[in-house]
Amino acid sequence: MKRRVQVVICRTCSGAADVLDVDRLLRVASDAPYVGSAVIVNYACNKKSISEIVDDAKSKEVDRLLLVPCSKKDVSPTLFQAYVKKAKMNEFLMETVDLVGEAALPHRDDPARAQAKAEAKLLAAIARTALLEPLHKITEDMRTKNVVVIGAGVAGVEAATTAANLGMHTIIIEKSEKKLKVPGVMMTKSRVISTEGHAGNYSLSIEAGEKRETLECAAVVVASGGDWSDAERRFIDAAPDSKPLYQLDRDVSEGKTPDGTVIIIDTPDPEGARTAAQDFAWEEALDCAIEIRKKSPATEVYLLFQEMRAMGLAELAYKEAAGLGVTFVRYDAKRPPEFDSEDGNRVTVLDMAQDETLSIAFDALYYASVSPNPDNIAIADALRIPMSPSGGIRRGSIQRGPVTTLRPGIFVCGSAKFPKSEGMARLEGRAAGLLAAQFAAAGEVESGGSVAEVAPEKCSACLTCVRTCPYEAPFIGVAGKAEIAIQMCQGCGMCAGICPSKAIELHHFTDEQLLTEAAVYLRGDF
Amino acid sequence: MPDREPKIVGFCCEKHGIDSVDLAARSGRQYDSSIRLVRVPCTGRVDGTHLLKALEEGADAVFVLGCLEKNCYYDTGSIEGRKRVAYVKSMLSEVGIEPERVEMFNASSSMSWKFSEIASNMVKVAARLGPIGSRGGGR
Repeated sequence: MKRRVQVVICRTCSGAADVLDVDRLLRVASDAPYVGSAVIVNYACNKKSISEIVDDAKSKEVDRLLLVPCSKKDVSPTLFQAYVKKAKMNEFLMETVDLVGEAALPHRDDPARAQAKAEAKLLAAIARTALLEPLHKITEDMRTKNVVVIGAGVAGVEAATTAANLGMHTIIIEKSEKKLKVPGVMMTKSRVISTEGHAGNYSLSIEAGEKRETLECAAVVVASGGDWSDAERRFIDAAPDSKPLYQLDRDVSEGKTPDGTVIIIDTPDPEGARTAAQDFAWEEALDCAIEIRKKSPATEVYLLFQEMRAMGLAELAYKEAAGLGVTFVRYDAKRPPEFDSEDGNRVTVLDMAQDETLSIAFDALYYASVSPNPDNIAIADALRIPMSPSGGIRRGSIQRGPVTTLRPGIFVCGSAKFPKSEGMARLEGRAAGLLAAQFAAAGEVESGGSVAEVAPEKCSACLTCVRTCPYEAPFIGVAGKAEIAIQMCQGCGMCAGICPSKAIELHHFTDEQLLTEAAVYLRGDF
Repeated sequence: MPDREPKIVGFCCEKHGIDSVDLAARSGRQYDSSIRLVRVPCTGRVDGTHLLKALEEGADAVFVLGCLEKNCYYDTGSIEGRKRVAYVKSMLSEVGIEPERVEMFNASSSMSWKFSEIASNMVKVAARLGPIGSRGGGR
């Protein structure tokens, strides 16, 4: 390999309002080892500049590019894909360095040090770029366009409908016997037992009644929903005749309003054993309270809550409800309300706002909280995805998106994560359906590139990587050594960092590349 | 040694970590320029040797910056990172080097204020301790 770096400095962006001296950066780059060509372009994200750079790359016979733009995220990916193609360069040999975000902007007050830092950073980036290896991605065709939706609740049906409208073949897996008119296939009395394969080509084992079936699918949406029965059991003990909020919602929409004193409470548990704040149906609770007060002003409504989460425009409903005389009582999670059903129904609660203990006799109690579905454990086990401490399915990092899970191609929506209002569940179902359809519609799935690889001669098969990887990519192969399933590997490098024999290397972030970058950077005095 | 600027290396994850640095820069926060950031895909990629080598190459302090533990892009990555840092700390105190020289931090991509705090923390530590061995410690 030639290891000749082309350094391209964008004058418009990298100068960051004259903090850095771009021409000096160019001189530093030209004198650095491995640099075959160093040029300044006026505006890098421009088709004309790209062809200039490509011509320069061809004439100077460089095989890799270091771009000094404004920030990695601002670089137009399509333009530089075109560059990589035209210059016949491997895409992993293109590197960017953000001198603006790391030197120019945060050290604006001290331009001399900022310039010295930028130069050191540039040299470090050149040293790193010189060490990069060409890598290749693998594309695999998806065998099906199936989207499997687990659960036929509000969110699940919405997800399936959305995905079906986009041309996917949807299969709903529902544990009960309920029959619904939905697009695609609906399997009742069935559940997922296990999963094999990887994103795009999952293969699920399904137990449908007595039978066992294997179902190939591209993407999975978990919409297991919540479970009211747990709250029902607990509340019936504390206050007989208590009902879930959705019941009140139905009654009110049919024009039936309760009389006397009505309490709507957010806790999932009247004994106070589980008092974590619930992100739940406050919008519905507020709407019901407003409707009741409007239709029968004689009915008193109390809202007992730990935390008010009326978001967005629902905030207006909060105001309206307060104006209509709905009483809001905020209680401390550590001191949950106490129920007493001996002489009529009565609840005693400390109002935090007034610092006063209220004793309210009530006629109807509605609980607006839904417990996590106990089936989540089996579902999470079958799909190999993590759960949250509260018993829901854990969503992936917010950077992956709000309805994603740790695993690509598996999405989660609605109360499967934590209690959601009906409207929110529907919205999330649509989001998950869209994302799953988008994922499946691609028809192929990419893997490889910056992934981990085991050097078998160093591996002592200690299983550390197998235990550490959240994606279950490493496994012990037939040779008795660890191997990495490329399609599963997400390129985080946790296995490479933890391997006690240092047998695993993460491509694109090898020990040599990281240490050289750090060492060269440290050589700069500023 | 007041005439020498401290040298600090930060291994910073490419997800929330680098985003918080970027946001800090773009919201006009200023911090000491002694910080040298090295990008890693995830703090779980950081190995004890990376931290030790950085100290060996002349860094006065080293830190690792990752996602919040409950919101890590790779789920358990920043927890792994924290464990490695703790291990290196214990190793350093065994050989008589101040363990405060190595630290783990977490930030989410929306915390614009966080990185300047981290930087000033680490600069204070590096300025107080000086280069390794300068206070008679170390071997």
